[in-house]
Amino acid sequence: MFRLKVADAKLLRDMASAISILIDEATFQITPEGLKLRAMDPSRVAMVDFEWPKTVFEEFVCTEPTKMCINISELLKLLKRAGKDEIIELALDEKTGRLQVKITGKYARTFTMPTLEASEEEVPTPKITFNVRAKATTDGLRQAIEDAELVSDHVRIEADNEKLVFQATGDLMGATIELKKGSDALLDLEAKEPSKATFSLSYLTEIIKAASATSDIATLEFSTDMPIKLDFQQAREGKLVFYLAPRIETA
Amino acid sequence: MRVIADLHIHGRYSRATSQSMCIEEIARFAKIKGLNLVGTGDFTHPKWLKELQETLTQDADSGLYRVASDPESSVYFMITTEVNTIFTFEGEVKKIHHVILTPSIETAIQINERLAKYGDLTADGRPTLDMSAPQLVEEVMEVSSENMVFPAHAWTPWFSIFGAFSGFDNVEDCYQDMTKHIHALETGLSSDPPMNWRLSKLDKFTLVSNSDSHSYWPWRMGREANVFELKKISYKEVLDAIRTKDKTQFKFTIETDPAYGKYHWTGHRNCHVSLSPKEAIKLGNICPVCRKKLTKGVEQRVEELADRPEGFVPENAIGYMHLLPLSEIIATALGVDSPSTQQVWNIYNRLVEKFGDEYTVLIDAPKQALNEVAGQRIAEAIIRVREGKIKVKPGYDGVYGQPIIFEEENIDTKLSKGKVQQLNLTDFM
Repeated sequence: MFRLKVADAKLLRDMASAISILIDEATFQITPEGLKLRAMDPSRVAMVDFEWPKTVFEEFVCTEPTKMCINISELLKLLKRAGKDEIIELALDEKTGRLQVKITGKYARTFTMPTLEASEEEVPTPKITFNVRAKATTDGLRQAIEDAELVSDHVRIEADNEKLVFQATGDLMGATIELKKGSDALLDLEAKEPSKATFSLSYLTEIIKAASATSDIATLEFSTDMPIKLDFQQAREGKLVFYLAPRIETA
Repeated sequence: MRVIADLHIHGRYSRATSQSMCIEEIARFAKIKGLNLVGTGDFTHPKWLKELQETLTQDADSGLYRVASDPESSVYFMITTEVNTIFTFEGEVKKIHHVILTPSIETAIQINERLAKYGDLTADGRPTLDMSAPQLVEEVMEVSSENMVFPAHAWTPWFSIFGAFSGFDNVEDCYQDMTKHIHALETGLSSDPPMNWRLSKLDKFTLVSNSDSHSYWPWRMGREANVFELKKISYKEVLDAIRTKDKTQFKFTIETDPAYGKYHWTGHRNCHVSLSPKEAIKLGNICPVCRKKLTKGVEQRVEELADRPEGFVPENAIGYMHLLPLSEIIATALGVDSPSTQQVWNIYNRLVEKFGDEYTVLIDAPKQALNEVAGQRIAEAIIRVREGKIKVKPGYDGVYGQPIIFEEENIDTKLSKGKVQQLNLTDFM
């Protein structure tokens, strides 16, 4: 048996939105302790690692561990029908294999949607030694990425102990965005060694935009030509981490 | 008699075709190229057909056509066209291009009368017909058993029998009971015979190569062609050579390197993403820049359908020769962007004047003689192409491949720029 209740519809909607930027069919692992999902996008360029302990929810009931796969975009369509302070309840009917989505506010609406065959793939996280760790506001990051996007489809992120730099070079234009350590946007920065790596802006923009709705602060970790880890700090012990593989220039 | 034939080109009423594409100009440039048999293209278009009637005269001996104003010309014409059929197969919409060869203008008129029921023949030199592939073959073959239909550019992603987007996996699925009339497949620029040999189910078909050119310029027309050795040039002999796949008559095909074709690799033109089949599969066929589905290239599609390893040569295979258009070779050797510059034309004209036509320059001219006319660098470039000692940066999603003739020099700035490669997370697990 699985059932959960969230008092603030926005919380669930923003999280579903963040997951949906990478994944269409999301397989959640449900245990008595909470909800987990770790999956890569179809091109395996990016990964989302999500966890919500049961404390996030107003009510969370799971009698035995199970997996539930749903089309996250379809769920999102239903969740978008809910107002900010409306209550959402999800319940899995194990007999029919359908998920019930109940939205309660000024009036109650109940939708049902099918569940899909759950993925059996166990996805490990990338094994990387990170040399840079930067803590920034998600707003600052979003601004930097939006600036870079004006001139190119990829951005090089560089850091030393003083600053975090976003460098974008397009066919005609270029952009350099510098976040200094201790500034309003860059709260902390540690670099074991100067590092730089290039990333696709189509991924980075969507990840940062969507995850910003769930978090005010993000921690970036990266090393030269290695994947970047973006950890969006969550309230109530939740976890929302993205990994994004780099682009490299070959000779 | 050696016959070099390009049986699939387009007239001026086809979209994206030069308005000066008239029979006299096609004949003039065909001669320069070294072609002695060219398809007229577009006989289905009433205005083009009228031009054919006015400018061509049938040669009594061969049954083929010659330019009326130059009846002694070495260039013969065969009446040909290309059509696009749109139909549904097992719930999917299929858009397939076919080439039709017919012995005379009279039979062409009869074909047109039948095809006009299925679409507007005046709309395009290559008309779109609301009929299935077997219906097309049935209609055409009912007019004359001497007609021939074969699938055009069999592997291109759109509008082809094996295309990644709306194609089939088997010739039989496409043509059904009319497959008995299909004797040939046109390989298209992005595939060559060795790629097609990897599918045992294609062994029974003759692989033909044509340019599908929309202009008469020698870097387009005749860039792919068929080389026959016939007792005499005639419609019947050419058809028989294709139908019987007789190696004594059908000697070889002239092919550009398949990587030169616009759809060899998988990629996205606007995103500047070009990927080998292995790389594309690794990325789930999703573009790492825009994250939409990639345009699957011919090499990847062949890989999907192949049941033989690379390098397999079937017993009855007709040979092939990889060449590049001479203008392209000269432009690459000089490091200029376009084959149509005056500098390229000057050298091209000197070579053609000396050796008679472009194919002779490309295939037969001795290095020393080339050297004397065009200089050491151009001569070396021609010999390297002839001997297959060049590389080509593969074309993708509508972008032509780029020849690399002097790899050791790395003169092409586009090539020396380096390639941005998107890694994926499995590289780090």
